[in-house]
Amino acid sequence: MSDSEVIKFSLLVTGNPASSQNTASALQFCEAVLAAGHKICGVFFYLDGVLTASDLINPASDEVNIPDRWVALATQYKFALEVCVSASLRRGIVNEQEAAQLGLQHYNLKSPFLLSGLGQLAELSASCDRLIQF
Amino acid sequence: MEKKIGIINRQAPHGSSTAREALDLTLAMSAFNESLSIFFIGDGVYQLLAKHQADFILQKDFQPMLQMLELYDVEQIYVCQDSLSVRNISVEQLVIKTTLLSTDEINEYLQQQHQLMSF
Repeated sequence: MSDSEVIKFSLLVTGNPASSQNTASALQFCEAVLAAGHKICGVFFYLDGVLTASDLINPASDEVNIPDRWVALATQYKFALEVCVSASLRRGIVNEQEAAQLGLQHYNLKSPFLLSGLGQLAELSASCDRLIQF
Repeated sequence: MEKKIGIINRQAPHGSSTAREALDLTLAMSAFNESLSIFFIGDGVYQLLAKHQADFILQKDFQPMLQMLELYDVEQIYVCQDSLSVRNISVEQLVIKTTLLSTDEINEYLQQQHQLMSF
């Protein structure tokens, strides 16, 4: 595929990973995009989608661990998994730095998910050819 | 050319955090994009209805933040006329200045956007 045919996608994921299909469908969409030779600029998690970034998610052994699959895909194809910081703090997703600042005893942000601001969504929106929401 | 981005609000203001967080997103996006259009459709029109008393249900009253849209130069604010009519809401009851559109006009405006986000 020539460079001119490659489509750059950014994703906005807003569904709860445990109780909605959104996150799993977004993951499968990413896999299909990459398999077809297109590009993922990045994935932005917002609303209940931020819960995907919890390192404490532990589905039963016969269920798919969606966060692990995100990490594997993002690591292989080198795209960012951005998580809205304000939506995260509201839902108990905290990184080491925020935990220290807020005086919390624990943090649970899964690596390499990254806490970032909504400006990062604006950046992903501006730099892609297509923005897809799940 | 800057992308035209449409943000669609279809949910009631409370009952879930979607409306409030969609407004947060809209205000943040407005700092980076001057071609935002905001649509209020279906139960989303209740977000604009005056006199919420969100504190009674332990929620943040985010309605004053709607006034920030004007400060942030978000002027393309569209409301579905049919959604208002079936809910017996008049335009005088809305807390911010908006443009009323028919269903057909909303479809037309949505098609003009390069990107849509729906809440």
